[in-house]
Amino acid sequence: MIQMHSVVKTFKNAAGEFVVLKGVDLAVKSGEFVSIVGKSGSGKSTLLNMITGIDHPSTGQVLVGGVDIYRMTESKRSRWRGRNLGIVFQFFQLLPMLTLLENVMLPMDYVGAFEADARPERAMELLKMVGLESQAHKLPSAVSTGQQQSAAIARALATDPPVIIADEPTGNLDSRSADVIIQLFDDLVRGGKTIAMVTHDPSLTERTTRTIIISDGELIDETVALALPLLSHRQMLDVTKKAERFTFQPGAAILKQDEHVDYFFMITSGRVEIVLRSPRQEITVASLGPGEFFGEVELIRGGKSIANIRAASGAPVALVALHRDEFNKLVAASPLTEDTLGKIVQARIEENRTATRKGKRL
Amino acid sequence: MMRPRWRKVFSDLLDNKLRTLLVVISIAVGVLSIGVIAGTYVIISEDMSVSYAAHQPANIELRTDNFDEDFLATIRNTPDIAQADGRRVVNLRVRRVGSNQWVTLDLVAMDASEVDHLNRLDPISGATVPERREVILERNAFDDLKAAIGEELEFELTDGSRKTLKVAGIVQDPTTSAGDFLAPPLAYIRMETLDDLHQPRLFNRLYATVSRGQDNDDEIREIAAQLRDRIEKGDHVVIRTRLSKTNEHPMASTVNAILGILGALGVLIVFLSSSLIANTLNALLNQHLRHIGVMKLVGGRSQQILAMYLALILSFGLLALAISAPLGGQGAYALSAFIAGKMGFTLLGYRIVPIAFIIQATVALVVPIVSGILPVINGSRISVQKAFSGDMPSGEKRREHAKPADTAPRSRPRFFLPRPLLISLRNTFRRKRRLVLTLFTLTMGGAIFIAVFNVRVTLHDYIGQIGKYFLADVTLDFDRPYRLSEVEQAAMKVPGVVEVEGWAFISAEILFPDGMPADNLNILAPPADSALVAPVGLKGRWVHANDEKALAVSEALLDKFPDLQPGDNISLKIDGKEEAWQVVGIFKFTGREGVLAYAPYEYISRRTNLANRAYSFHVLTTDHSRKNQDSMAEDLDKYFRQEGFHIREARAGLSRMDTAAESLDILVTFLLVMALLTAVVGSMGLTGTMGMNVLERTREIGIMRAIGANDFEIIRTVIIEGMVIGIISWFLGALLSFPFTVMLSTIVSLAIFYTPIDLVFTPSGFFIWLGLVIVLSVVASALPARNAARLTIREVLAYE
Repeated sequence: MIQMHSVVKTFKNAAGEFVVLKGVDLAVKSGEFVSIVGKSGSGKSTLLNMITGIDHPSTGQVLVGGVDIYRMTESKRSRWRGRNLGIVFQFFQLLPMLTLLENVMLPMDYVGAFEADARPERAMELLKMVGLESQAHKLPSAVSTGQQQSAAIARALATDPPVIIADEPTGNLDSRSADVIIQLFDDLVRGGKTIAMVTHDPSLTERTTRTIIISDGELIDETVALALPLLSHRQMLDVTKKAERFTFQPGAAILKQDEHVDYFFMITSGRVEIVLRSPRQEITVASLGPGEFFGEVELIRGGKSIANIRAASGAPVALVALHRDEFNKLVAASPLTEDTLGKIVQARIEENRTATRKGKRL
Repeated sequence: MMRPRWRKVFSDLLDNKLRTLLVVISIAVGVLSIGVIAGTYVIISEDMSVSYAAHQPANIELRTDNFDEDFLATIRNTPDIAQADGRRVVNLRVRRVGSNQWVTLDLVAMDASEVDHLNRLDPISGATVPERREVILERNAFDDLKAAIGEELEFELTDGSRKTLKVAGIVQDPTTSAGDFLAPPLAYIRMETLDDLHQPRLFNRLYATVSRGQDNDDEIREIAAQLRDRIEKGDHVVIRTRLSKTNEHPMASTVNAILGILGALGVLIVFLSSSLIANTLNALLNQHLRHIGVMKLVGGRSQQILAMYLALILSFGLLALAISAPLGGQGAYALSAFIAGKMGFTLLGYRIVPIAFIIQATVALVVPIVSGILPVINGSRISVQKAFSGDMPSGEKRREHAKPADTAPRSRPRFFLPRPLLISLRNTFRRKRRLVLTLFTLTMGGAIFIAVFNVRVTLHDYIGQIGKYFLADVTLDFDRPYRLSEVEQAAMKVPGVVEVEGWAFISAEILFPDGMPADNLNILAPPADSALVAPVGLKGRWVHANDEKALAVSEALLDKFPDLQPGDNISLKIDGKEEAWQVVGIFKFTGREGVLAYAPYEYISRRTNLANRAYSFHVLTTDHSRKNQDSMAEDLDKYFRQEGFHIREARAGLSRMDTAAESLDILVTFLLVMALLTAVVGSMGLTGTMGMNVLERTREIGIMRAIGANDFEIIRTVIIEGMVIGIISWFLGALLSFPFTVMLSTIVSLAIFYTPIDLVFTPSGFFIWLGLVIVLSVVASALPARNAARLTIREVLAYE
């Protein structure tokens, strides 16, 4: 639904040039509920502006619904945006001189969506959907901020666009109102909409199907972010840049027991199986999926691989791998990660011992 | 090194050049117009009378029967007479040799040695003193004839013969017939040339100055009365008297009245531009709230901030003064020269008028301070917290803050207006104070504009009413009397002639009860049942055929005799004899040409021994258009000459009306220019307002863009808002134009016609202003609209 290819955005001012987006590649599939997170100044709003056509990239291409949106004039893009994107702003951005109902009807007027006679009815339906039926004829200034944001969502849905883009939609709301809004988003995704949302709130990212982290104008590998959530964004980005990518076909061996281990592996897609092999039989100690990792036991404790690791049957396995040296530096630089990994290592060794004992009994 | 705060003031001036330009121009327009008008007022009132007096104007002009040099010598010895000149004035037709275009002019014969005495002439080119068989043309005669110096002009003499004279020079005569728009053009010859024109070397005009009370009407009248007595005792007849002051141009009061109106409009423009300044400064302060907050945060005191913004305002004023002072000086002189040219007097030369400059400087520096002081004080007193939140203390709050009334739901609409239109309509009323100021400027501009159109129609209607006294399509003047039947029979042979009337004429002097002359009186004598006069009666009745020593007089006589009623007797001096005549009615007519009276032909012709005969015949034709009148006049002239009649002139009936209407149009043009100037100030105000509105609504424009509004939608939203303001101002202006019309018409008619006139309203002013205000609104909104459409959403968000 949304594709970004090598998008670079450079701003110029008297002090010089600033590269805000450094060759971003991104693909969002139809029906995904994506959160975009990043620290202030990381480039997340610029990224969003690239998707909405509010700003234009210095180089690169942005396709939304298969349309290269920067091949249009600004004026035509506005019209296209009205039909294809619903935008929800942090500060609601309802027009203060129009009632909530009129605000919801406005995009339909601009792009000529629905018959003119049907627009009031549709706007009222949308307001009803967000629980504002009784407030429809009030000015934005007469309702609460949560209600204003609900009305802004109703407006974003006015022309029935396939994609909703939200810029910190709950940033100005109390937690109760924020829950209502996120619930609305969940319902929309279930209804087939694609939603991309910028947020600062980690509790919201948990409710999305995917989280994209941006740091210093670059996207962090989602596998890294899932596997090592306790790293700082800068460290994650460092890992993203230094990591190597491997793909293994189903059933292929990734590590062999007693083999020297040089990488810390994080699973991007597919599943891997950890297998202990005795002369008599194979014992599958664990099956790991996307966001999980392996190789840490050997790298932290030293020594050779304590198990066989292979790609599970059914689908190829994509891995992100960090070399031993980089891994060691990273762990040293992130005590939290070191601590967490230490506990995981203990747990996994324990699991391994238990499995080995079981295997011997058998 | 400049201190940082003054450096800020300096950069505020240069930071937003368009805004600075808008403020400076809005001040400059008012300063310029007041400078032009004040300068013109001073130059005209000084030069008009000084220049007039410098030409030795006669205080007394008497039209008499023939008198000679010896008699003139006795006149010169009359007590209280400082100087007296005799001249002979002959009304003749003249044309360029080979041309068919005849021009009737008054040929003034004067003693060559007297040329520089009374009623002095200004040389324009060529000679100022004619030799024998030479003629000097006055500028108006030159304009009519377009004859070059050295060219021969052909004069038609009273006996029908023709004589050529050579044009020796062109002059301007600022005094003779000054203020008389209907006087024929003048030309000058020396007395000896009269022989060549078959005229006696005798005078029929006496020009005299008085040795006391040259600027006192009463004294001049008294001396003129004594002089007339002396002339009449010398067995001569005084036909007409004209009195003038030495140091006051006859048109001074009229010109001053007109300048007064222009002055009032100038003050209004200053007033309007001040509201524009207030609007702009308010918006500027709004934009500077964060700056003020920062300055206060780092220790700036209210007084310091106040001083900074006052300095900024003064800088605007100084820039405006720098533009408008030199332009105002040039404009004042150019306008003065134009008026002087139209009025026939010369200016004393280009000069800077100190008082005009002082007024300009005061307006340029004080008006912006007065207009801007309130927003500046409010801005400088604002607290840091409020400055950062963007609220002006007593200004209009942003609508994001709900007022109690806003929490109520809006009434459910019965039908839905398109939302983009709704945005334009509601935006119009969001900044109410700004809207009021903008509406005020546009409304005033519109009201004056419409009123000027009404005044124009009112004046023309009045001219039309005057035309009811001159319904003849052609007036035929003969050099000798002809029988009515004879002329009628001849005229009816010319195709198109419907009716012919012979009119008689006598002139008289009206006397006050104490015997002193009050005014001249022209008594026209049409047949009592004339179809060629349609009087507009005020009191009493029109004349009857059997009336004797009875007349209907124009309302101008009420100035002299306010209690005059029909049935009253007045004293008239006719041919030197005092008689009592009864006023049977009073009719409406301009006082510009003095007092006019009508008596029946039946009586006057008997009294002048011209029963059934007349010098003057009024002809009615089938087509009353000016074009037809001109061609009928030419046909009749030709025909009567062929038939051997001694015709002096055949004149189109509308010719004089058209001349009067043209001179009124000059005035109306002046008023229209002022009205347009107010309209320009109004539309500048609208441009400023729309610019400020767009600037303040940048975020909203971004939102509209974000939800699908394209360039056209954005431009339309802004332009419709401008048009709504324009149309509201039109409604208000249309209403206000009624009292404005009354005021302007009354002032103008009193200044020009010396009488209030009936108002006439025309829809054209209303419609033209509607069209114009819509165009102005669209133009005024177009630039802000274009800027709005150019804003990218990123810029919008950056602005926030």
